[in-house]
Amino acid sequence: MENPLHIKDDADLKTLYKKQRNGRRELPLLHKILMELAKYEEMEDQVILTEKDLLEDGFGDHPFYHCVVADVPVEHQKVEGYSVIGFAMYYFTYDPWIGKLLYLEDFYVMREYRGFGIGSEILKTLSDTAVKNRCSSMHFIVAESNKASIDFYKRRGASDLSLQEGWRLFRIDKENLLKMSAEE
Amino acid sequence: MANFILRKAEPKDVSDILRLIKELAKFEEMEDQVILTEKDLLEDGFGDHPFYHCIVAEVPKQQQSADGHVIIGFAMYYFTYDPWIGKLLYLEDFYVMKEYRGFGIGSEILKKLSQTAVRTRCSSMHFIVAEWNKPSIEFYKRRGASDLSLEEGWRLFKIDKQNLLKMTNEE
Repeated sequence: MENPLHIKDDADLKTLYKKQRNGRRELPLLHKILMELAKYEEMEDQVILTEKDLLEDGFGDHPFYHCVVADVPVEHQKVEGYSVIGFAMYYFTYDPWIGKLLYLEDFYVMREYRGFGIGSEILKTLSDTAVKNRCSSMHFIVAESNKASIDFYKRRGASDLSLQEGWRLFRIDKENLLKMSAEE
Repeated sequence: MANFILRKAEPKDVSDILRLIKELAKFEEMEDQVILTEKDLLEDGFGDHPFYHCIVAEVPKQQQSADGHVIIGFAMYYFTYDPWIGKLLYLEDFYVMKEYRGFGIGSEILKKLSQTAVRTRCSSMHFIVAEWNKPSIEFYKRRGASDLSLEEGWRLFKIDKQNLLKMTNEE
């Protein structure tokens, strides 16, 4: 397939988002794609983020995340109504030994569009962003059961830090944070 | 008994922050891997767009450390984003100098971080711990931490600069 793909960054995403919202029954774009990804992981009921949150958090004075989207023109849509067919969400983190890192949070291409190198293009765009922003590397987490993704990343030189260095990801949830903040 | 205060780090604190970062790295036998400079810390933490935030623990002069320091602990954190629930507080580094441990300074720091997380509407606090670091794991578990790597199978991956450059050059 010839590549009709357009990869857009934050600025374009905001415009796309606005355009969508000005329509009557338009798709909540990024939110819909996130819902689809959650559905794919059978976790839809865990998505509590709203379009409003995404707009405030991503396009306010201080963006908490950035997005790259893959957009196809109407003539090439395989699924009616979807022009945005893939995306990656990322932000910058900080390693106290080496400085800025690019953290890849979410990465998805609609099933109908896989196998055409779109994922690779997105990753290439992200790599470029990382280098331009003087990041030492890109970090991300993958579920150990997700062999396909692990191989995809390993083919691109990714190393498993959990395996090599024993890192485990921990979480303290809101309930326990409230407990700690109230302690005397 | 240590009297101490906790406060937001200021630009003048970067040399102490770097000192403590190196001290913690030394504990992990990785001191020579710290390539960050005070200048980097200054630009990255106190410019228009801070890439990290710090809380420092300070003692009065009369209680300064053996080598003459009053900044005796710190925590470095930043905000991350979960696409299903939104903002999270990510605890990157957390250290109290050995001579000042056992006085509840660590707990106070964690309490302050928790308050920050709640105030900034974060759903939770995330951080990584090395699996062999039993004391730290216990410290966090006592405060309700759960091991997501164990429970959900998450593994941390890295693609280093060399491989990023390879990808940017691909056609």
